Amino acid sequence: MGQRAYIVAGFRSAVGKAGKGGFRFYRPDDLAADVIKHLMASVPQLDKLRVDDVIVGNATPEAEQGLNVGRMISLMGMNTDKVPGMTVNRYCSSGLETIAIATAKIESGMAECIIAGGVESMSVMAMGGWRIVPNPKVGKENPNWYWGMGLTAEAVAQQYKVTREEQDAFAVHSHNKALAAIQSGRFKDDIVPVEVERIFLDANEKRQVEKYIVDTDEGPRASSIEALGNLKPVFANGGSVTAGNSSQTSDGAAFVLVMSERMVKELNLEPIARLASYSVVGVEPRIMGIGPVDAIPKAIKAAGLSQNDINLFELNEAFASQSLAVIRETGINPELVNVNGGALALGHPLGCTGAKLSVQIMNELKKRQQKYGIVTMCVGTGQGAAGVIEMI
Amino acid sequence: MNTHIKKVAVLGSGVMGSRIACHFANIGCEVILLDIAPKELTADETKKGLSLESKAVRNRIVNQSLEAAVKSNPSPIYRKSFAQRIVTGNFDVDMAKIANCDWVIEVVIERLDIKKLVFDQVEKYRTPGTLITSNTSGIPIHMMLDGRSDDFKAHFCGTHFFNPPRYLQLLEIIPTPSTKPEVIDFLMDYGSRFLGKKTVLCKDTPAFIANRVGVYSIMALFHAVSEMGLTVEEVDKLTGPVLGRPKSATFRTCDVVGLDTLVHVANGLKANCPSDEEKALFELPDYISKMVENNWLGSKSGQGFYKKVKTADGKSEIHALDLKTLEYRASEKVKFATLEMTKPIDELKQRTKMLFMGMDKAGEFYRKLFGGLFAYVSNRLPEITDDLYKIDDALKAGFGWELGPFETWDILGLDQGLKLIAENNKTAAAWISDMKAAGITSFYKLEKGQKMYYDVQSKSYKTIPGTENLVLLDALRSENKVWGNSDTTLVNLGDGILNLEFHTKMNTIGGGVIEGINKAIDLAEKEYKGLVISNTGQNFSAGANVGMIFMMAIEQDYDELNFAVKAFQDTMMRIRYSNIPVIVAPHNMALGGGCEMSMHADKVVAHAELYMGLVEFGVGLIPGGGGSKEYAKRLSEELKDGDIKINRLRERFLTIGQAKVSTSAYEAFDLGYLRNGIDEVVVSRDHQLARAKSAAIELANKGYIAPKREKNITVMGQEGLGIVYVGANSMLSGNYMSDHDRVISEKLGFVLCGGDLSENTVVSEQYLLDLERKAFVELCAERKTLERLESLVKNGKILRN
Repeated sequence: MGQRAYIVAGFRSAVGKAGKGGFRFYRPDDLAADVIKHLMASVPQLDKLRVDDVIVGNATPEAEQGLNVGRMISLMGMNTDKVPGMTVNRYCSSGLETIAIATAKIESGMAECIIAGGVESMSVMAMGGWRIVPNPKVGKENPNWYWGMGLTAEAVAQQYKVTREEQDAFAVHSHNKALAAIQSGRFKDDIVPVEVERIFLDANEKRQVEKYIVDTDEGPRASSIEALGNLKPVFANGGSVTAGNSSQTSDGAAFVLVMSERMVKELNLEPIARLASYSVVGVEPRIMGIGPVDAIPKAIKAAGLSQNDINLFELNEAFASQSLAVIRETGINPELVNVNGGALALGHPLGCTGAKLSVQIMNELKKRQQKYGIVTMCVGTGQGAAGVIEMI
Repeated sequence: MNTHIKKVAVLGSGVMGSRIACHFANIGCEVILLDIAPKELTADETKKGLSLESKAVRNRIVNQSLEAAVKSNPSPIYRKSFAQRIVTGNFDVDMAKIANCDWVIEVVIERLDIKKLVFDQVEKYRTPGTLITSNTSGIPIHMMLDGRSDDFKAHFCGTHFFNPPRYLQLLEIIPTPSTKPEVIDFLMDYGSRFLGKKTVLCKDTPAFIANRVGVYSIMALFHAVSEMGLTVEEVDKLTGPVLGRPKSATFRTCDVVGLDTLVHVANGLKANCPSDEEKALFELPDYISKMVENNWLGSKSGQGFYKKVKTADGKSEIHALDLKTLEYRASEKVKFATLEMTKPIDELKQRTKMLFMGMDKAGEFYRKLFGGLFAYVSNRLPEITDDLYKIDDALKAGFGWELGPFETWDILGLDQGLKLIAENNKTAAAWISDMKAAGITSFYKLEKGQKMYYDVQSKSYKTIPGTENLVLLDALRSENKVWGNSDTTLVNLGDGILNLEFHTKMNTIGGGVIEGINKAIDLAEKEYKGLVISNTGQNFSAGANVGMIFMMAIEQDYDELNFAVKAFQDTMMRIRYSNIPVIVAPHNMALGGGCEMSMHADKVVAHAELYMGLVEFGVGLIPGGGGSKEYAKRLSEELKDGDIKINRLRERFLTIGQAKVSTSAYEAFDLGYLRNGIDEVVVSRDHQLARAKSAAIELANKGYIAPKREKNITVMGQEGLGIVYVGANSMLSGNYMSDHDRVISEKLGFVLCGGDLSENTVVSEQYLLDLERKAFVELCAERKTLERLESLVKNGKILRN
């Protein structure tokens, strides 16, 4: 009891463009298993049978991601039936939620070592899932509880007076930061190269197998305010939210290894960081994008810190409109937010995002030799989540 | 000769070539479309490192043409995916492929030297015995024979498709003396049955039949206009729908076609018809020459007889050319006493008579125009054809006239026509006098369900060749009428099959039509084998009589309204559940009630040109004649265990919610109005009724038993309602619909889900009908629905409120 939990390793796949990117032929369970294998290989001292659980975040746990995909991933990735697995869904914070669960279990003495993270393939999944069946009573009385996220982004833009121009400029900035980060190899330490196989018929209908490696984020592109300005709003007639200032749909997986202080010492490992706090809040579903505004201070307070202590923010860019509203409302320094670009450029593989951003912020804090970072995001149906990462 | 056409080669991918290729793809043929390879690389191709040998470069011209054609509006293709039946290629590499084609169709540029070069290539690869045709509007066909092999000549024939080939009915067939008779027979029949065209066999005379007479007619008008001092708008008013001609009438049509094209044909006629008694008319009047000089050619050059002008407040306005000053000025409203007088007369034949009697400038105009036209067409026999019906057919199919010149003449009477000719100092051909002397006073007569024409050679009436097997309502109506009321006529088609036609304005459906359908089914059940519902109107039906619904709604006579809707529903149900097979054979527009009627048929025999849709949403309603019910029922039927029902519900919902109208019969299948495996498509409008009749006979003969009333429809109930409410609210919140749209959407969704029952409840068809009717009547009590109805009834406009 009372011991600390540390993150001792963490990796992510590159983030592929959904539907047209490198992972469009690759199943999410395979992708997650690949990342977990790499993660385990990076800690050779650890006997895999001492891993107590594999906790997988996923925002659409059905079809390829259904059937408790977390357990399937533990079987596929750990090469033993002795390590269990489960799936956790809190939409876009799922990948952070799993790290929080792992941390809490270890710190309460329920476990010693857990693999936590998330995976999402939006290539194989319809947005929101294949079979959307809202409760008719809620549908009649509170239809906005079921609104699509784009509509909530419009509502945030309206309520917080975020203009189209601001949103487009924010998106361009995100792309530029991401391109610079990729060019300078900023994500090299994060990414597990993954080999993908595509099987197809050539012009003579002969079966062909093509293998290629995906090791670079596919979303960022040279963009301009003019080009983005030409896009039509996609969620509301006369609105301001376009495909260009919304996050991209993506495929990706990310996992970290969380371990008790006792085991860290026993195996003689160097801990990287710890999740110092994790908070979730509820807000009006109609403006779900505003969730981080309440979640950030709550998490900072829980960590016993003040906003000034935070060196970096990874604020998930679900939409430019909500990102700008959150930055304004919390008063956080925009210079510290998403220094290597955000989801507008790099993509947002829903259930993976929390873990992916955690891996990114740990590596960035390490490079900068800084101590505190916050991973935060808005969450569908009116929620916000934030976690404080403390580097060791 | 191989007459089983599976694969055709179309040489030349210009506007005509690409669209002819599309039409062959429409009917199910594989098509190879070839054109020249480019001689230079584009900047983009150079950048990509391509060479003139790259396939992408070689096929650039043909690919671009095809892409432009497929994207064009109105679409040349019935269903977008049919374009996959077309494979593109180029003359340099792919000409050898014509060896495997059953028909080679040359549609390259209208230059004899180039056509010859292409034929040289065709000779190299064409398999002997294969059909080869050249499409042209002006080049004499016999001039193309120079240097050709005997086999080529024997299988060669000229064709003249009108643009756009999918939509314009006319296909002129122009053989040469070397063309084998079986080739001619084949083309006449294939063009009609397979391609759905009115095929007209022509002599190889300048501009063939349609353009010879059509361009004469336009040129005569050009001259008459200046002589009579008429304006552009006046002429278009006088020669438009009032006369049974297209809305674009004369000058607007010229703008669309392009004045240069017209002048080109006129000049050709002037040069090539030295003995034409009206050749002076082929001289261009000054104002036309000036327009050509100024490049005022119509739409293609931005201005012609009309010009779209932006006014100071940013609105666009149509200006017309003043033919005297050659300046554009605001369009003027046209008023003629004759036109006012004929306004209430819907029936074209009656109206035509009245038009000629007018004592004003309009009457004078018609008498002058037709005095000349009657003389001209009489004198074209035997020059351009031996058969007078071909001139009528060509003008009707090629120019969209409802009546050919001889048919119009028949309406006025032979003597009256001769009088007009004399008054205009023209001379009718001698055969007319012979005919009159023999006591024959009409060019056509109807006998035993067939349309007979007066044959000048034999001086007797003959059946129009190729129509022997058609079922012609126009010819049957008077002799075989079984019953009728003001809105419908029931005609015995023979072989135990009745046909009910309606003839209301726009063929809308009101009490009279409902009575007619019930009477037809009563009679058919007693004494006949089956019933066809079809008509010869412009459109099958524009839907229920909205004016009637509006009247009852505005008077808040909801019991009456409920009763009327119930009668409509019951009648649709009788169509399905009567003891005889009922075939519905719709063409062109089949909207609202016209669509619902089709949806309840035992079988739909649809014309390929079918613009079908449940469009009630636009007037603030949902389909109330069984359409919504039928969608709920079909939704239930199409689902298999484990299907994602919500998505099917959404498709069905959006089809009605967005009032989707098919652009072809094939799209009507895609939208779920027509049923795969049951309903069928006929490309030829002429053959549609014959096919519908045989379908009725087939169903009757194989032992028709009325389907059992459906009591086991599994509805989604509450499972679907949530998405209905959320979807409607989201569309409203995203400003994609108005609050009233939301109200209608929720009612529609409620009916499609079968109400708020628990998931997977089993209901009867009648339960759904009652639900549908209740929603319909409730919507009629909504102020905004009344406003929408009023807008359509009073202004003919769909109001969004």
